[in-house]
Amino acid sequence: MTASRILRGVLLLALSAFLSAPAFAQDAGEHNPETVKKAFGKRPYSPYAGRKYPTQVYFGDTHLHTGASMDAGAFGTRLGPAEAYRLARGEEITASSGQPVKLSRPLDFLVVADHSDNMGFFPDLFAGKPELLANPTGRKWYDMIQSGRGAEAALDIIGQFSQGTFPKEIMYFPGTRAYKGAWQQAIAAAEKYNEPGRFTAFIGFEWTSNTGGNNLHRNVIFRDNGDKASQVEPYTVYPPYGSDNPVELWKYMDAYEKKTGGSMLAIAHNGNLSNGLMFPVVEAFGRKLDREYAETRARWERLYEVTQTKGTGESHPYLSPNDEFADFELWDKGNLDCSVAKTKEMLEFEYARAALKNGLKLEQELGVNPYKFGIIGSTDAHTGLAAVEEDNFFGKTTPQEPSPERMTATFFSNPKSGVKIMDWEVGASGYAAVWATENTREAIWDAMERRETYATTGSRMVVRFFGGFDFDAKDASNRMPANVGYTKGVPMGGDLRQAPAGQAPSFLVAALKDPMGANLDRVQIVKGWIDAKGELREKVYDVAWSGGRKPDPRTGKLPSVGSTVDVENATWTNTIGAPELITVWKDPTFDPTQRAFYYARVIEIPTPRWTAYDAKRFGVKPLPGTRMTVTERAYTSPIWYSPN
Amino acid sequence: MRSFLREPLVLFLLLGGLLFLLFAWRGGGTSFRSNRIVITPGLIQHLSSGFMRTWQRAPTQAELKALIDEHVKEEIATREAMAMGLDQDDAVIRRRLRQKLEFLTEDIVAQAAPTEAQLQAWVNAHPDLYRGEARVALRQVFVSPDRRGARARADAEKLLGRLRAAGPRAATETLGDPTMLPAELPLGPQRDVSRVFGEDFARKVFALEPGRWAGPIESPYGLHLVLVFERADAPAPDLAVLRPLAERDLLADRQKQELDALYRRLLEKYTVVVELPKVSDSTAAAGVRGAR
Repeated sequence: MTASRILRGVLLLALSAFLSAPAFAQDAGEHNPETVKKAFGKRPYSPYAGRKYPTQVYFGDTHLHTGASMDAGAFGTRLGPAEAYRLARGEEITASSGQPVKLSRPLDFLVVADHSDNMGFFPDLFAGKPELLANPTGRKWYDMIQSGRGAEAALDIIGQFSQGTFPKEIMYFPGTRAYKGAWQQAIAAAEKYNEPGRFTAFIGFEWTSNTGGNNLHRNVIFRDNGDKASQVEPYTVYPPYGSDNPVELWKYMDAYEKKTGGSMLAIAHNGNLSNGLMFPVVEAFGRKLDREYAETRARWERLYEVTQTKGTGESHPYLSPNDEFADFELWDKGNLDCSVAKTKEMLEFEYARAALKNGLKLEQELGVNPYKFGIIGSTDAHTGLAAVEEDNFFGKTTPQEPSPERMTATFFSNPKSGVKIMDWEVGASGYAAVWATENTREAIWDAMERRETYATTGSRMVVRFFGGFDFDAKDASNRMPANVGYTKGVPMGGDLRQAPAGQAPSFLVAALKDPMGANLDRVQIVKGWIDAKGELREKVYDVAWSGGRKPDPRTGKLPSVGSTVDVENATWTNTIGAPELITVWKDPTFDPTQRAFYYARVIEIPTPRWTAYDAKRFGVKPLPGTRMTVTERAYTSPIWYSPN
Repeated sequence: MRSFLREPLVLFLLLGGLLFLLFAWRGGGTSFRSNRIVITPGLIQHLSSGFMRTWQRAPTQAELKALIDEHVKEEIATREAMAMGLDQDDAVIRRRLRQKLEFLTEDIVAQAAPTEAQLQAWVNAHPDLYRGEARVALRQVFVSPDRRGARARADAEKLLGRLRAAGPRAATETLGDPTMLPAELPLGPQRDVSRVFGEDFARKVFALEPGRWAGPIESPYGLHLVLVFERADAPAPDLAVLRPLAERDLLADRQKQELDALYRRLLEKYTVVVELPKVSDSTAAAGVRGAR
């Protein structure tokens, strides 16, 4: 790598300057009383008018790093939050590797969750500083900038700094408010790109607790705008400001809410790399789990990120031996830095389904369920690019942006522990789907808080899931399933209590394929419960599927949907599967005295994995064992049943 | 003896030796690096304000002491590591420094707010960015090939005839096949239609004449009979509405341009020599390829 090469790259990047922003429209929330009066008489003609429930699902990423994150910067990511927002809202930009990149369609929201390291940058030169203008040098710079010679001023400032001739009277030192932090920069970018009704740019950060290489990371998302968020610094793991113990993070969140009247929530991720520490049941950080722990965790950690580039953590074949779909994009070799290899005993405390089950048991013991979380997916990309479509995957880190090398390169290797992870194991996953009443910070955050969310592994299927005691088969042919769903039951993330005598809960579940994606294979409902003996149980039910397939009368197993994938050419057809599946399912083994949870899992027909597109496009032979197909899926937040 | 001491050279060496001993005794070794760490009131204020912004309260005495102790450790580590040259050739540090330099430039550029005339010129120069979008509101009746198989299209055509006869106010609640696709979309731009029904469908719908049932139009889900019941043309760009967007975009563009200019100007200070590897040297060539 030579200096001129780098420089040329920089210049090219800079020259490519401003790429097209999509047309802007004032379409959000515009209301024309004239038209309304004309169209409807006294009562609205439209049965859809006046509906208060969410009619639209919004897709986004709650977990994207940019060059402002120390490790992302080290990987070579040059894109900042502004570029990240621009890509997410549908613009074409240039990736750090110099390649043009654009999403197939815009996302609706984005959280730039850079690691919470705090640093001072540079003097905020002219913000309300009359003394600066009184200084001849300061005045000169000011005039240069105002007359559009900013680069010249920057050069002069840099020169004076380096030669020690910077005027003392206008020099700021760390510790004065004149030093602007990375955090203020991040907030400013979010404020600029937040367009209520069109695109939501959340303010957030990642708290990166990683002691011993065990991943206990949490993304913290603000409901608030910059005025409140800028009153606080992101929480770090460095004492005495911060701590690596989640209990301390929750205290910090509480202090923020009390002081500013704002709201925060936290989303944990990658339990699969925590080596058994993500979902403890006995003790955490040397303290026995008690009611207070359970209450606090349940209060702040409303969601769990179940799928992302570093693997999917819904369940594991070891934990769910009867679940034929449990073996999906697993990362189960060790912890985050691969320093300690995985043992089977750790798995129960790392995967979402097992945690949901243990939560029921803890609720029985402590009176509160600490693991009552909703489900989302996100990318955790460190590229500034929320691009996880299989045919448009820009990798987890900048060296993993599209190139012939990523089919065969090693991502992580620790010779001591023997743990090695290849680039091909990185998954093109996932997104967060949120049923919100509108595309604003407040509405989307509120939907997250009430857990009306689901995860997808990158596809954008539309999934509804309602639970109640009154659903019947007819509801599955209703023209407005959501209307029935909200009227007769609770949506995903909700609670059912005290079943009426002799009644079992029934669920209305509906899935629509991604309009640009593959057909659906099946819809399943996963039930977890605690039986009369106090044993934790789980069962996966196929509830709706495509074609005329009949479950095997002996095993009850539904035959496979098959596959149309042509790996060599990276193509598939929608000749199998169904574009839409809907049904009402009643729990056949319900016991009203036993705690339970239910969530839906929607599975697409097999499609080419990103590795198949790469093999085809770059003409690279995959390493033995490389997975070349994928069955994209969605996981909804659970609905819980409790006897009291 | 006394005359010997009066020799300037001897005196000079003697004083030099004394100074050397003094520095060695103070712990300075042979270097003149200062080993004083001064915690100024300003720094203490900085540390405790950082704590306050994190915890929304002032640190206790014990916490303040911990803050200072940590700062001292960090200062020592930084100085020792730099003395050992650990900051050299460190990719993280180099990239961070570059980032800071670029941020500095960008921030300087952002100090000058664009004038009204500059914004107007920017909007005029980029009509594609600020062109408003046409919007439609639609109703649709779904016919499912999954349910009806080969006769789906014929059924849809028949249904279209009935809908046209009934007109735009046709009651559609029980027509066609049930689906969770919305039967009605409020006034919205093409991307709103496309996110639900796919791009092809949206394109076709935007070409429809309002007020008349049309179709069947195919979507990834099946066939649809569509009524566009309202259409609004794209509004002309209005700076009053576009101002924040235009300002954001113009500033971002300026920052890019200025950064580019900065590198060009800085490049003048340097002589860059590129020693290309011989073509036969495959390892080095691969190295260059890798340096995308």
